[in-house]
Amino acid sequence: MAVLSPSRVRGLSVVLTVILLFSSVSFALTPTNGEDLQPVPFDDTVGGSSGGGVDVRQAEEEGFVLPRTEVFFSNYRYVVGDYGIGETASKLTNPGTERQFGTPLAIYVSDFSTVKPTLSEEGFVVSENGQTVGWTTATNASFVVNSEARVPSGSTVLPFSNRADAKRFIQAHGGRIVEWDALGETVDDPLQSRLNRFHNEMAARHTWANKTVVESRAILERPRSIVVGDDAPNISAAIAAAQPNTTVYLPPGTYETDDLTVNKSITLAGAGNETVLRGNGNRSVVSLRTDRIAVRNLRIDGVGDVGSRRLEMQNGSGNWTTKVRLAYGYGDAGIILDGADSSVISDVSIETNASGIINRKSNQSVIDNVTVYGAATSDDGFMGATVIGARSVVQDSTFVDGRDGVYTHRADGSVIRRNQLEGGRYGIHEMYTSHTLVANNTARNVGGGVLVMTGPTDNLVIGNDVRGSGFGIDPAGSDSFYANNVLVNNGYGMRATGQQNAYLDNIAVSNDIGIRAGEIAPSNWFIRNDVVDNDKQVESELGPLRTWTHRGIGNYWGDLPLVDADDNGIYDRGYQPTGTVDGRLGEVSGAITLAQSPASALLRRVRDVVSGIRNSGVIDTAPRSDPFHPEQIANARANRTRGDAA
Amino acid sequence: MVDRDIVDDLFVVATRELRTVVKTPSLVALAGVFAVSIVGVAWAGTGGSGGFVPLTLDLLTFVEVLIPLLAFAFGYRSILNDRLTGELDMLRTFDVDRIAYVGGVYVGRAMALVGVVVASLFIAGVLVPVLTADQPTFLAQNRAADSILRFVRFVVFTGGFTLVALAVTLAVSAAARTLRTAFVFATVLTVAFVIGVDTALIAGLASGVVPQEGIALLFAASPNSAFRGLVLEIAVGVVSGTSVNAGSTPLNAFALLLWWLLGLGIAVWRVWSPVGWNDDGGT
Repeated sequence: MAVLSPSRVRGLSVVLTVILLFSSVSFALTPTNGEDLQPVPFDDTVGGSSGGGVDVRQAEEEGFVLPRTEVFFSNYRYVVGDYGIGETASKLTNPGTERQFGTPLAIYVSDFSTVKPTLSEEGFVVSENGQTVGWTTATNASFVVNSEARVPSGSTVLPFSNRADAKRFIQAHGGRIVEWDALGETVDDPLQSRLNRFHNEMAARHTWANKTVVESRAILERPRSIVVGDDAPNISAAIAAAQPNTTVYLPPGTYETDDLTVNKSITLAGAGNETVLRGNGNRSVVSLRTDRIAVRNLRIDGVGDVGSRRLEMQNGSGNWTTKVRLAYGYGDAGIILDGADSSVISDVSIETNASGIINRKSNQSVIDNVTVYGAATSDDGFMGATVIGARSVVQDSTFVDGRDGVYTHRADGSVIRRNQLEGGRYGIHEMYTSHTLVANNTARNVGGGVLVMTGPTDNLVIGNDVRGSGFGIDPAGSDSFYANNVLVNNGYGMRATGQQNAYLDNIAVSNDIGIRAGEIAPSNWFIRNDVVDNDKQVESELGPLRTWTHRGIGNYWGDLPLVDADDNGIYDRGYQPTGTVDGRLGEVSGAITLAQSPASALLRRVRDVVSGIRNSGVIDTAPRSDPFHPEQIANARANRTRGDAA
Repeated sequence: MVDRDIVDDLFVVATRELRTVVKTPSLVALAGVFAVSIVGVAWAGTGGSGGFVPLTLDLLTFVEVLIPLLAFAFGYRSILNDRLTGELDMLRTFDVDRIAYVGGVYVGRAMALVGVVVASLFIAGVLVPVLTADQPTFLAQNRAADSILRFVRFVVFTGGFTLVALAVTLAVSAAARTLRTAFVFATVLTVAFVIGVDTALIAGLASGVVPQEGIALLFAASPNSAFRGLVLEIAVGVVSGTSVNAGSTPLNAFALLLWWLLGLGIAVWRVWSPVGWNDDGGT
């Protein structure tokens, strides 16, 4: 052992001592603390980078100011930005926030002492000469509440670093001053107020759709004025001869047409499947070009096979939206609605290798009880129904194969309900579309059931049933509601993503992956869901550890071998569906034994601590021992077949 | 001159101890198990792939339990073996100072032990940037949320705690006259440190014997609690999400120092009988 000579050992001991002493320098250096934290550009915050909701878009367009906050949490790697002072204050009083993000080390709020705020006619805050609003710490600010100042979605709170400025503002616009500590208590549970709004909105959108459909029924039943064949030699002649607000009737038979255009408010009615409108296989079959046209009770085929005129129409300039509109809105279709407000397509069956129906800017139009048979493969086909730039209703219809069943592009406020989607790429595909209601649709054997993209806001996706598909529901955007959906036997049931979305009462059964968690900021609510029998319950991609529990309400993850000693329906310990050990509980032999090991118990104990900077994953601190929706689970288990295509 | 001799002798003994450690397969194996455990916790837990603070919190309990055990294994036979084999008597014929001897044993064993502990923690720390998933670069980072400084502080505290645990074990080894006594003593102390003192304190609190104002003081009395308090207060700090009040930092630091001095003091005092003092003559 010549290696270990006394002199070398002495040297080694010096080295070790120096290492420890050098490491002790860490005591002299101060890690960054709350006082060192300065506001960052709002676009770089989580929340600020997402573009925000409706208020934000309106504020940008009209040039008024929204009060904002930036919060640095002890347990969160990024800076959390938010619009609305009251909302932030309320969030900070919620115990769940502290569990997820830790304590706020620094809170910055917009400082209206840095500008001269005036109010627009609507009560929106405008800064003089468009000056940028600065920041101040929340504890430093005086908050003006109950003044005349508003944001589009309601009242607002304005912070001033200088109390005199706040008083001056109150003299001009009313209100009173509240300090930061008292502010949070004045605001409600953010989830509860959202849920109330969602439920009201759901009812309102159904009501709007009902009303729109009822109005459309009136134009379906117009008096018959012309019978094609008897009163006129062909359809074009019949339309030319027909009085507005009457019906042109097409008796059973096949009618060859060539780019038929309807530019009169009439009803085109057939005798059912025996009445066939047949295009020449080139371009669209029927185009509706004025308001209040109805097409009912007939069959259409012979549609051209160009789904998208992307290439021919894109040589011109224009932004991406224009390109999509041109590319997707000007392909061949069975029926085109072009500025045909309050029109209706009902009891129509379409066979197409391109699109079924394209609605371009035809507001309050209705697609009701329509069946579209698309191309056998999604590459060959195109959209069943495309809605572009119009608020309209698509209901009780069936879309088979082709590419997407229903495709929307800036179709804000549309209602898509009770449709059946079979085969094809996506069942319902929403782009740039907010304020919609997607309800009670069923999808089978599609690439994906409902796909929402491009960061919209305020969408309600409720009561849909997707089975045997690539995925069930893949959301995006913010402030939306995904509830009561049934997702069985898909590649993955649902993705939980976006900001401030509520995922409630969904059922994910027997999917390869039950839920995929993919948000960077854990600002969504995921509770009261039943996630059972999935090969992998939850897969998490980006972001920190998320807590899927709100005020003591969690989810049901199946019959776990855990203890509920007090019999309150909640297992006594938290459950981590993404966990190495927890994720295999009840499935892999020995997992429960491993879960009881001191090592697992120790790691579990510290898991909730600083969860915001832990590795990606999901934890439910109040896992339910009984399902929320036992009947629906039983039903899902009984009917879990993959479907025909598999 | 005398000091030079003591230091030289100390490192001769330390070298001998290091050789013993390296040549004892069970100790090498134990060190390996320890390293694997620490790295395993970093790998398996959600902390190692999250950041330095979560990793510190994940490791804290493991370290607190494993280090007294490891120190026990590394130390309880050290002096006693020399006594039982007669080597101690032989060494004394070379007129070795008791401080040089005990110090040498301590330094030699401590180098091996602290080396293993610090190296294991270092590997665990290196895993953090390796395991951490890609982070979006378009977002501003909150610099206060996590810091390597906090983990380094934890490593330093752990090194110190290791030295204290070894000092106490050495005292047992020096005081005991048979292997059985040493084993029993060391076991009792380890159990007391890991769970005994805290359990007694909890029981005392529950029964009202211990006033709650005395917690900080009494916790400091247990090396484990003092170490834990220091880590939570100084290393993890406010990042843990709640305002930290993990006992009195000076009290905890002082208590650890006291345990260290007590351990080494007892070892030096008890290593050979006071007759030895007289033999050494006029120091």
